[in-house]
Amino acid sequence: MAFLGQFLASLAAILVLAWIARRMGLGRDIRIRDEQHAQMLADEVICGFEAREIALDRSGRAALLRDHAGRVILVKVHGAQFAGRLLGPGSSATIWEDFGQRSLEADSGERLFGRALLDVDNPENWVSAINGAKVSSHA
Amino acid sequence: MPDYSPIDFAVPFFVALVLIEMIWAWRRRPQAYEPRDTLTSLAFGLGSSAAGLLTGAAVLALSLWLYQFRLFDFGAEWWMVWWAWPLCFVLDDLGYYWFHRCAHRVRWFWASHVNHHSSQHYNLSTALRQSWTGFFALSFIFRIPLTLLGFHPAMILFVGAFNLIYQFWIHTEAIGRMPRWFEAVMNTPSHHRVHHATNPIYLDRNYAGTFIVWDRLFGTFQQEGTERIRYGIVRQLGTFNLFWAVFHEWIGIAQDVWRAPWRHKLSYIWRPPGWTHDGSRDTSDMIRARWLERHGETATDGAEKPVPNDNPIAGREKPA
Ligand SMILES: [Zn+2]
Ligand SMILES: [Zn+2]
Repeated sequence: MAFLGQFLASLAAILVLAWIARRMGLGRDIRIRDEQHAQMLADEVICGFEAREIALDRSGRAALLRDHAGRVILVKVHGAQFAGRLLGPGSSATIWEDFGQRSLEADSGERLFGRALLDVDNPENWVSAINGAKVSSHA
Repeated sequence: MPDYSPIDFAVPFFVALVLIEMIWAWRRRPQAYEPRDTLTSLAFGLGSSAAGLLTGAAVLALSLWLYQFRLFDFGAEWWMVWWAWPLCFVLDDLGYYWFHRCAHRVRWFWASHVNHHSSQHYNLSTALRQSWTGFFALSFIFRIPLTLLGFHPAMILFVGAFNLIYQFWIHTEAIGRMPRWFEAVMNTPSHHRVHHATNPIYLDRNYAGTFIVWDRLFGTFQQEGTERIRYGIVRQLGTFNLFWAVFHEWIGIAQDVWRAPWRHKLSYIWRPPGWTHDGSRDTSDMIRARWLERHGETATDGAEKPVPNDNPIAGREKPA
């Protein structure tokens, strides 16, 4: 039972440390600054990826990049860092309409990587790039 | 035989040092920590020691059984042979180097070791991000040669624990460079930052535990340059989910083996991470080669095209 006591004490220490980190406001609120930044992040996903077309979310929370071969990379803010995925057969894109505001949802198809909502120009282009023509809407 | 681990005694110091580093981060570099990432890392540490407790007895029993076949004998009072201790530490560190190298180059071992690399942050909490599945991955086989040489399993466990404790403090961005002589012989924050980096030129480098000399000797050493370091794994998790972080690569192996044609199935287990039979993914060698093709060999010292620099460590040249 000494182990259980030790385990619970460690668990408490862990929660306290994480709580302190949060109270201290550690981390940072980061954004994808511009297209060049998005390109750099895509290069981290696939070394040598050269985007021909870039859609940067207006708030900088995510970006979609497409290269000559038609490959599409989704980059998103993840905590205080960025993470990206090459979109594949399991990925999909949808356009949502909310009070006349249209936004693009790119779903990586990976449950835990998740999806990103992008406020971009011409979302239709990206929907067709990601999954052919599949547009749905809701009010 | 001691039934405690030196690590138990180190834990309070680990906690205190993480706290001190958090205060440093708060004042100088808040992005060094991300609370959700910290919680995942620390939970990794706790789960790992629980898993170690469950499997430790089996490993010890196996080692004690193998011990009877030893080549050399330090006698009944083996612990009295003082020079056996430092010798065991150095040889265990050499064994660690090879374990660690295989852990990066063979996907089966990587599936367990990837746990340690899955954070995109590099701080003292990252050091505690230890695997839960080391026993399942058969990591302990790398210590068998030492037992067969004649070092008592208890001695091996003891020096191994100290090796792990040594590796704690090097997981920090708060220290730039140590004095030259120290950087030459010992593993340091600078060397180990390279190991945790996903920059193409840094992939699969600096496998050292305590002594960096093994990397210099076996050709896997890479000096830290001035470019901004990105930490983590080539395919970042993009989630803080603890259980996904623990098991994702095992699940990946299972899926690949299931889908692959029969003659390629085993390759998904023993070949390097990123290997595919159809070339659909990249191994670290492929990534490095492609990068060098584009940037040239000269860029290895950090003289590449400037990237937006938000890493204050980069560019720091003089010893800290
Ligand atoms: Zn490693
Ligand atoms: Zn490490």
